[in-house]
Amino acid sequence: MKILSLSLALLPLAAYAETTPAAALVPSFTEQTATSGVNQIYAGDWEFMVGGGVSTFDCNADARPDLIIAGGTNPAKLFVNQSEQGGDLAFRETESGLERAGVLGAYPIDIDSDTIPDIVLLRQGENEVMRGLGNCKFERANEAWGFDGGKAWSVAFAATWEKGQNWPTLALGNYIDVTQDMFPWGSCTDNWLHRPDGVKFAPPTPLKPSFCALSMLFSDWNRSGTPSLRIANDREYYKGGQEQLWHIDPGKDPALYTEKEGWKRLRIWGMGLASYDLDFDGFPEYFVTSMADNKLQTLAELPADGAAKAGFKDVAFAKHAIAQRPYTGDDLNPSTGWHAQFEDVNNDGLADLFIAKGNVDAMPDFALKDPNNLLLQRSDGTFEESGDRAGVAATGLSRGAGLADLNADGLVDLIVVNRREPAQIWRNTTQSPNHWLSLTLAQTAPNTDALGAWVEVKMPDHIQRREITIGGGQAGGNLGPSHFGLGDLAQAEVRVIWPDGTTGAWEMVNADAAYRLQKP
Amino acid sequence: MQRRHFLALTGAAFALPALPLHAATNPSDTLLTWYKLVLELVRHTATYTPPVAARAFGYLGLAAYESLASATGATSLAGQINGLTALPARVSGTYDDSLVVHAVMSEAVETFFGNTGPTGQRAMAAMRNKLGAKLSEGVAKDVAARSAAYGLAVAQHIEKYSTSDGGHDVKNMGFPMQWTLQKGPEFWVPTSVIVQQQAPLLPEWGKNRPFAMPADAPCTAGDPPAYSEDPTSEFYKQAMEVYEVSKTLTDEQKAIARFWSDDPMLSPTPPGHWISITLQILHRDGTDALHAADALARVGMAVNDAFIACWGDKIHYNRLRPVTYIKRVIDKTWEPLLITPPFAEYPSGHSTQSGAAAAVLAAIFGENFAFDDATHADDGIKPLHFSDFQTAAAEAALSRLYGGIHFRAANENGLRQGAEVGTFITALKTLA
Repeated sequence: MKILSLSLALLPLAAYAETTPAAALVPSFTEQTATSGVNQIYAGDWEFMVGGGVSTFDCNADARPDLIIAGGTNPAKLFVNQSEQGGDLAFRETESGLERAGVLGAYPIDIDSDTIPDIVLLRQGENEVMRGLGNCKFERANEAWGFDGGKAWSVAFAATWEKGQNWPTLALGNYIDVTQDMFPWGSCTDNWLHRPDGVKFAPPTPLKPSFCALSMLFSDWNRSGTPSLRIANDREYYKGGQEQLWHIDPGKDPALYTEKEGWKRLRIWGMGLASYDLDFDGFPEYFVTSMADNKLQTLAELPADGAAKAGFKDVAFAKHAIAQRPYTGDDLNPSTGWHAQFEDVNNDGLADLFIAKGNVDAMPDFALKDPNNLLLQRSDGTFEESGDRAGVAATGLSRGAGLADLNADGLVDLIVVNRREPAQIWRNTTQSPNHWLSLTLAQTAPNTDALGAWVEVKMPDHIQRREITIGGGQAGGNLGPSHFGLGDLAQAEVRVIWPDGTTGAWEMVNADAAYRLQKP
Repeated sequence: MQRRHFLALTGAAFALPALPLHAATNPSDTLLTWYKLVLELVRHTATYTPPVAARAFGYLGLAAYESLASATGATSLAGQINGLTALPARVSGTYDDSLVVHAVMSEAVETFFGNTGPTGQRAMAAMRNKLGAKLSEGVAKDVAARSAAYGLAVAQHIEKYSTSDGGHDVKNMGFPMQWTLQKGPEFWVPTSVIVQQQAPLLPEWGKNRPFAMPADAPCTAGDPPAYSEDPTSEFYKQAMEVYEVSKTLTDEQKAIARFWSDDPMLSPTPPGHWISITLQILHRDGTDALHAADALARVGMAVNDAFIACWGDKIHYNRLRPVTYIKRVIDKTWEPLLITPPFAEYPSGHSTQSGAAAAVLAAIFGENFAFDDATHADDGIKPLHFSDFQTAAAEAALSRLYGGIHFRAANENGLRQGAEVGTFITALKTLA
C-alpha cells in the first residue's frame, strides 16, 4: 500500500492481520535463547566489568533487525535475522568482519551516508569504525575516515549530525585508566568528540573535564533544534565530577551547561541513559540507571516562552520508577542498573521501561540475583513492575539489552547480554488486541537515518513523540524503526519534524503496519 | 635492607595532591601508604557511611598501634578499652617493622573492606603484593616470615574483637528494610526521594560498644530546644536562622559548607576527613611509625565513640530536619544548599565527631597547632589553613548551618558532646 496523497511517502513494509484475543495489560514473553541461534557470552575480567552491549540494526536491508553483540574477551558477533514474520525468533551467526576481541559495545550509524549502516566498535584499546559494505559485511575504516581510535577503555557512544555538515559528530565516552591498579580512582580518561572535517573525521577534541562516562546521548532536551550531549558518569571513579550536559553547537567549542543556565549538580553511579517524552509535553524525560537508586528526570520548570532552563527534577520516586532492589527472590540487597530503554511492550500507547540489572561482579552489598525490570507505564504516568509476570525476570549479570520488533509481528521483543553467561532472547508473545505502528525515517544524504528528527503520533488526547537518536543505553542502541503502540486506535495521524526543522503535515495511516517515512 | 627501587614503583600513585606521599621506605611510610588506600576504600565501598567508616578507622588504628607498641614495650590498650584482651606477644627473634605494619594492615584492611567492589579488591591485592614484594627485598626470609606472622596474628585478634561490638554486620547499606515513623510534628520524616532512605541510617548504631566511652553512660548532647512553631520560640528562631542564612550565603560560606560536606561515596566521609588531616600532619612532620599509629588509633577511636554517642541521641530525640520544618512552617519552596542526610537531625554527627577528633588531636599535637587541610584537593576544592584544631572543628560544625541541614543547637551541642567523648580517649595510656 502506498499513501500518495501525503507529503511524506509512506511505504508499508508489513501488515498485521492477526485477530487477537482480549487485551492483557501485562505482556507475555517467551524465552527462545536455546532455539534462536543467538549464542554469545560477554566474557572477561575487571577490564570488562562494564560494557556488554547489543545493538539492533538492519545490515542487509530486509527490514528485520540484525544483532551485533559485544564479546569482551570473546570476539564480537553478528547475528543475521532469519525470523519469519510473526514466527519464532531465528538468527544465524554470520562472519562479518566485526569479529574483534576486546569489544565492550557497538553502535550502528550510517557514517558515510551510503544508506548502509556502519558500526562503531567500542573497545578496551583502540576503537574502530567499521564501514558497512552491504549484506552484513564490514571493513575497518579508521584510516580511510581519519578516525583516531585512541587506546582508552571506551564504553559510551552517541552521535549527531551538526547542522551544515556532511559527516556525523561522534562522542566516545572513556572510563578508567586501566594501568592504574592501586589507585585507579580519579584516573578518568578524557572523552573524545570526533567532529567532521569534510567527509572524514578531524582529530578528536577532548571533552574536559571527563568523569568516567558510562553512557552518552545526543538529545534535544529543550527542543531548540540543536541536540546537547548528556553524559552519565560513574561517581565510583571520578573526583570533583558530576553528571554532565554539554552544549555542542555548530562551529563552537563544546561547553558545559552551568548552574546559571539551570544545571544542577548530580553525582550518582551514572550507568545508562534512556529518553522518552513520557508526559506528552514535548520535552523528553531521561532515565538514568545507577546503583541502589535510579533517576527519572523531567524539566524542573516548563518554559513559558520556549526557552527551557537546563534544570531537571527527579520524579522516579513519585512515578514508582526507582526499581532500587530486587522484586523477586530472597536477595533484597540494592540493585545495580545498566541498560535502560523505553518501548511500548504492550501496545497500549504508553512507553514502558526495561532495565537490565546485574551485580558489577560479586559485590556482597548489592544483589547477586538481581532480576531485570519491566516497568509498565499506567495511564496516570506511574509505573508498575511486571518483569516476573511477563517472564523476563532473569537474574544473570545483565549489562546491555535491546528491545525491538525482531519478527515483524508488531510486538517488541527483547535481547539481554549477560556478563560471563550466555545472552538471552525473548519473543514477545502477548495476546493483545492493541494496535501499533512501526515508522522508519529516511532522508537523502547526509544523515540518511534522520538522526535528530522527531516522529509524532496523534492520540485522542495527546501526542506521542519519539526523538530519533543513536547512543545511550549500556554500550548499545537501536538504529531502525520507531515503534508506537496505539491502544484501540485502528488508524492514527503521524508526522515528522526532520533534523533540519522541516515539519511535515499530519497524515492519517492505518494501524498494524510498518511504514518508511521518506523526507520529500 | 635494599628498598631503593620502591620509589619508582609507587611514585605515580603517591603523587596525588591530597596526600603527597613519596615512598614507603620505613614503617611509618608503609602505614601512611595503607591509610591512603583506606581513605579511597571508604569512599568507594557502599556500606561505608560515616559511622561505619569511623568504626573501621578505630580498629585499623588500634591494630597498627598494637603491632608496633609491642616492639618497644609501649603500653598496650588491652585492658584499657572496652573488651580488648591481651594481644599476641612477639616471639623471640628479629622483626622488620615495615613488614609487620604491612602484614597487619593487609589483613585488617582486607577484612574491614572485604565487601568493597572489584576495583577495591584489585587495589588491595596490588598493594599487598607489590608493596609486600618490595618491602621484603633484602630481608632475611625468617625475619620476613616472623614479621608477617606477627602482623597477621595482631590483625586477627583485633578482627575477632571487632565482631562483638554490634557494628559488624551492616545490611542494605545501613538502612532498615522496614521502619515505622514516630508520629508528631517534631519527629524525623524522610527528606529524600530515594526509596532506601525512607528509613533512617543505622538506627541501632547508638547501641554499639564504644572503645573508651562508658557503654552504660554514653556522652549526650543534652536536650535540644523544645519543638515549637511559635515565632517567639527558640526552636522557631533557630529555624529562621537557618532559613535567613541560606538566603544570604556568601561565596565563602558556601565554600565552607562544601569543604566540610564530606558526603559518603563522594569523599572519605567526615571521620575520614579528620583521619586525612591527621595523615597530612604525620606526613608533613615525618612522624615515626609508633607515634603515627598512636595518633591514628586515638582519632579513629574518638570518631567511632562520637558517632555511637551521637547516634544514641539521634534515635532518642528523633528530631526533624530543617528542610522539613522550614517547608512546613516558613517557606514551602525552600531548599538547603547541601543534601540533607537521611537520618534524624539532633545532634549533628559531623559536629560531634569533629569535637572529639579536635580534642584528641589537640592533646597529641598541642592546642595551638596550625595546619593546612588539603583533603579534597583531588576534587578541586582548595586547601584551607587552620590555626588550631578547635577552630577547624567549630567551622565544621558551623558548616552544617550554612549547608541548611542542621539547626544551631545540633552543631554547638554536638561539638560539646564530642569534646566530652574525646576526654575518654585522651585519658588512655599509650606509648610509654
